[in-house]
Amino acid sequence: MTWRVGGVVMVVTVSETLTLSIRGLRQSFGDRVALDDVSFDVRPGRLTGFVGGNGAGKTTTMRAIVGVLQPDAGEVAFGGAAMTLSVRRTIGYMPEERGLYPKMKVLEQLVFLGRVLGVDKSAAAQRAVELLEEFSLTDRAGDVLHTLSLGNQQRVQIAAALIHDPKLLVLDEPFSGLDPTAMDTMGTRLRERAAAGLPVLFSSHQLDLVEKLCDDIVLIREGRVVATGEVSALREQRAGRRYRVQVEGDPQWRPALPGVTVRDAGVQGVTVELDDDVDPQELLAAAQRAGAVGHFGRVLPSLAELFAEVGR
Amino acid sequence: MSASANRTALVRIVAGREISVKLHDKGFIASTIVFLAVIVAATVIPALLSGGTPSYTLGVTPGATAQATLAQQLGALADDERPMGIPAADITIAEVDSVASGLADENNIAVLSVDGIAATLSGRDTVPDELETLVTSAHTQTVVGEVASDAGLSEAQMTTLTSPQPPKVVLSDPPPTFAVPPQLVVLVFGFLFYFAVLTFGLSIAQSVVEEKQSRVVELLVAAVPLRWLLSGKVLGNAVLAIGQVAIIIGAGLVGASLTGSGDIISQVAGVSGWFLAFFVVGFLMLACLWAVAGSLASRIEDLQSTTLYMQVAVMVPFFAAILIQDDSPLQRVLSYFPLTAPLMMPARLAQGTAAGWEPWVAMVIVLVTAIALIGIGARLYAGSVLNTSKRTSLRAAWAKGAGA
Repeated sequence: MTWRVGGVVMVVTVSETLTLSIRGLRQSFGDRVALDDVSFDVRPGRLTGFVGGNGAGKTTTMRAIVGVLQPDAGEVAFGGAAMTLSVRRTIGYMPEERGLYPKMKVLEQLVFLGRVLGVDKSAAAQRAVELLEEFSLTDRAGDVLHTLSLGNQQRVQIAAALIHDPKLLVLDEPFSGLDPTAMDTMGTRLRERAAAGLPVLFSSHQLDLVEKLCDDIVLIREGRVVATGEVSALREQRAGRRYRVQVEGDPQWRPALPGVTVRDAGVQGVTVELDDDVDPQELLAAAQRAGAVGHFGRVLPSLAELFAEVGR
Repeated sequence: MSASANRTALVRIVAGREISVKLHDKGFIASTIVFLAVIVAATVIPALLSGGTPSYTLGVTPGATAQATLAQQLGALADDERPMGIPAADITIAEVDSVASGLADENNIAVLSVDGIAATLSGRDTVPDELETLVTSAHTQTVVGEVASDAGLSEAQMTTLTSPQPPKVVLSDPPPTFAVPPQLVVLVFGFLFYFAVLTFGLSIAQSVVEEKQSRVVELLVAAVPLRWLLSGKVLGNAVLAIGQVAIIIGAGLVGASLTGSGDIISQVAGVSGWFLAFFVVGFLMLACLWAVAGSLASRIEDLQSTTLYMQVAVMVPFFAAILIQDDSPLQRVLSYFPLTAPLMMPARLAQGTAAGWEPWVAMVIVLVTAIALIGIGARLYAGSVLNTSKRTSLRAAWAKGAGA
């Protein structure tokens, strides 16, 4: 944002401008099209879940973002700037297949990676110690990496992605292989980074987790982005005309209206699908005639349902 | 903290890791120590063995004193006065009554007895060569002297007869004199280089494939250009290789100087400069190709096959240098061929068969080749190091490495 105050040009970088934008990525491996015009944004201060099946193109997209892969076409920009080397060096990256030196000691490893990413030695050492403490790994600092359990190696990996105080996080499957407690911790850490104003992009195929954790999602299937946006808005948008009605004292109640199909029934009430020409108010009136209405509302699809639906 | 990338700093950090990993590697430390021990032993032990003048106590029966005293004098002569073939020895004379009583004394290494013109040197299981030679010489002089004296020759005539002046040898084209055979020097340097290039070449390849196999390379490549990464790797290992070779050569020279073999030092120190210079350039010439051998592999196990040609490229020059040591056209050609020049040219210098300008020309040839191979190696490395799934073919690596 630029404006003038008494003849002086003031340039203020607002965090809003530090959006990661991906535009028109295309990538083929031989005959196989891995990415077909992939475009989306990762906004600052928000957790963005990158969801798709195996081989959908998540990893290829992330590799293109961090510059490990040079896509056939398309552009990646961060805060409007092209991904030059110095911009790439501000990314905290966690590759899908992980990547640390198996025979190096945990602390030495983090310090080395920090220095590679431009942190000076003493600052890197201090930060590494802090991160190990944050991930409850202080007592393993002097151990050789491959002696740690896979879950702990994963924590070291995320510490490595954070060692240089990144401006952007790109994490490929950060939750895979973690136990429930570690998943909680990881989720909290990611939320913290997002709350601090970073754009955070992470891929996962654990839809319930993404639904619980993310602000935005990007749904990718066979190399194409099929849905993108705020999770709640997407669910609302795809909700359709499904309603749940509960009549108190009469759990057996079924609406007998034309154009209303019963989908499901239980103690929670009855879930129905309305035809396009049916007014929901008619359904409510019918329920009220049967007794006191305990619940009446639209049913939003879960992310899993959404995923299954857009995939068709 | 700054995100901007400083090439020098990054190359140094990557090189620093290579060095630190190697310095913590027990195998590397052990091999260096063994090498040092062998070199020091090789220079010090022969010097100790040949250095001192042997001391003997010789039992002398009555009547043999004249010969014994002469042998003692001959053995004690200074190096430049002693006639050809007469060894140095420090002989102590012990007068004994008889051969039997003399040998009964453990101190006497042998007993000399003379009966007329027949002299007997009696020992136990053996008699030292030096002693035998000195006594033989002394006895001959004594006998000749007595005969000549009986014949009435003058003192001067007698001296001429007993110690004739040997003919003076004059060469119109003398070969350079060497304290140690140049063949030996070439063998030692050749073996040292062969070992160092193989060790550190393999170490580069291993380091590359380790990063590839553990996928660290993906983290590094996101933050460091591939060529900087490669430079750091090559430099780190080059520093170690050159350091190790320099330390070993230095230890050898120090060992030789401590034992007083000054002539060896002046001979070896004179050529070791060229040996080292060619080693540095020769190592750098192949270093990037070693990295390629690593990046073509996808697992440590693949290294054996991907480094095969590199091992041959190191082994052939080594055997060529130690086997082709005569001043032949083949040797002259090979001393300019880039692969063999780093050993062959200094070998010819060590043998004194190369003119002063020749190493410079060979050096330029090797340097130009090195620059070309580093370029080719960097491209192949860039084209293959990110292909983690399977072994990469050279052709695919070359195509993919374009512009990387």
